[in-house]
Amino acid sequence: MPCYCSIRYQAKYMKISLLQKRLAVAVIGLSVASVAAHATDLLDTVKARGTLQVALEGTYPPFDSKNAQGELVGYDVDVAKAVAAKLGVKPVFITTEWSGIIAGLQAGKYDVIVNQVGITPQRKASLDFSPPYTYSVAQLIQRKNDDRNFKSLEDLKGHKLGVSLGSNYNDMAKAVPGIQVETYPGAAEELSDVASGRIDAALNDRLTLAYLLKTAPLPLRAGASVGDSTEMGIPFRQNNPKFAQALAAAIQSLKQDGTLTKISLKWFGVDVSKPAAQ
Amino acid sequence: MPVFQLVLQSLPVLAAGALLTIKFAILAMVFGLAAAVVVALMGISQVTALRRIARFYVSLMRGTPLLVQIFVIYYGLPSLGISLDPTPAGVLALSANAAAYLSESMRGAILGIARGQWLAAYSLGLSRLDTLRFVIGPQALRLAVPSLANSLISLVKDTSLVSVITVTELLRSAQEVIATTFQPLPLYLAAAAIYWILCTILEALQHWFERHLALPGPH
Repeated sequence: MPCYCSIRYQAKYMKISLLQKRLAVAVIGLSVASVAAHATDLLDTVKARGTLQVALEGTYPPFDSKNAQGELVGYDVDVAKAVAAKLGVKPVFITTEWSGIIAGLQAGKYDVIVNQVGITPQRKASLDFSPPYTYSVAQLIQRKNDDRNFKSLEDLKGHKLGVSLGSNYNDMAKAVPGIQVETYPGAAEELSDVASGRIDAALNDRLTLAYLLKTAPLPLRAGASVGDSTEMGIPFRQNNPKFAQALAAAIQSLKQDGTLTKISLKWFGVDVSKPAAQ
Repeated sequence: MPVFQLVLQSLPVLAAGALLTIKFAILAMVFGLAAAVVVALMGISQVTALRRIARFYVSLMRGTPLLVQIFVIYYGLPSLGISLDPTPAGVLALSANAAAYLSESMRGAILGIARGQWLAAYSLGLSRLDTLRFVIGPQALRLAVPSLANSLISLVKDTSLVSVITVTELLRSAQEVIATTFQPLPLYLAAAAIYWILCTILEALQHWFERHLALPGPH
């Protein structure tokens, strides 16, 4: 879902000499650690450390959110735990905002993101992905008492459609000329604006919407599914062939031994770890 | 869930976030004020190069969004081989940014002291540094306190931006609860109330300082 604006920001605003000066000015006990050189494969780093550092939002139910006890729970949390177990290491979770999550991966702040990251050609240009572990599709959501039935994105020409900032739904909506696309920080905000009538519909992940419709106290209903099936994978930094192989093997074995299916049934009642028939 | 119960239940989470907010705010205030003194002194220096550097620093820090500064320090520096943890990166960005604003308040207060004070001190044989330290500084501090407090109170609220570098501070804690309860208003209001309480404490400090530094007698 991320846009690459954040990465462009870095390049644009990076004034190296100034930063160095500022660093020199600030008299702070900094724990400066140089980034692990690219020469060592991520797999060796992870094994040596004994932990897999997993980034997620922590505000994205039912994939990852905090329960009343403050523990991280959700489908992606369970998947990450299972993957780490297959790799023979312990998972360490790091919660951060979506807007910075890809930048953090590229800056080496953690090893992987397990947060329903859609596998897209643009993202594959700068990141490597595990094989898909979730299959879903984009879906419209409308007000309960709205008689109009938008069957496709074309039907929304001249109407207001809400999407999350930097999501692949954002790209889908913008690809259709004539739609007034409104961007929101997250699903909770766009759904409340559909409910209040400020926008005509919202576009999000079918799996998210099923959960939100069940739990959010808002007068909403599911609309039509639009576009092709989306595939979610686990992204990591490029040039880590051994890690790529180990991660792919872990996902494969979780699919074969039924673990992924079990986790999926627990959270969604349906198996989303295989390409959907619908 | 009733609103009162919801807020009550999320108080431990919000309190944990508030502790982080306080930690970042206090660290950034200490380092920010220290750096601001240096920048302000450079700003009134008789050495042109120092004045230019100070002016450039203030311009850069005030003229670019704090969010971008945090982003560059945390996500941009690793490409130069400098990888900071979230706490030092956040404190560095907040202090460096606050220092620019604080230094201008200090410089303004110093310039606000009448020229006669300088001349009188020189005629007593005080050096420039001693004049600043014993004559101008104490008087300037009295002028600077209200606007320094302005910047420091802003700083408390600016700490919410470090949520973008994996720190679950007060506002982000509220958002975590909102993500599963779908009750934004009461939780944002609860978070706002905590920020207000924190800033009220700062205001009390400000007033104490003002009384402490006030000129004797009615005027």
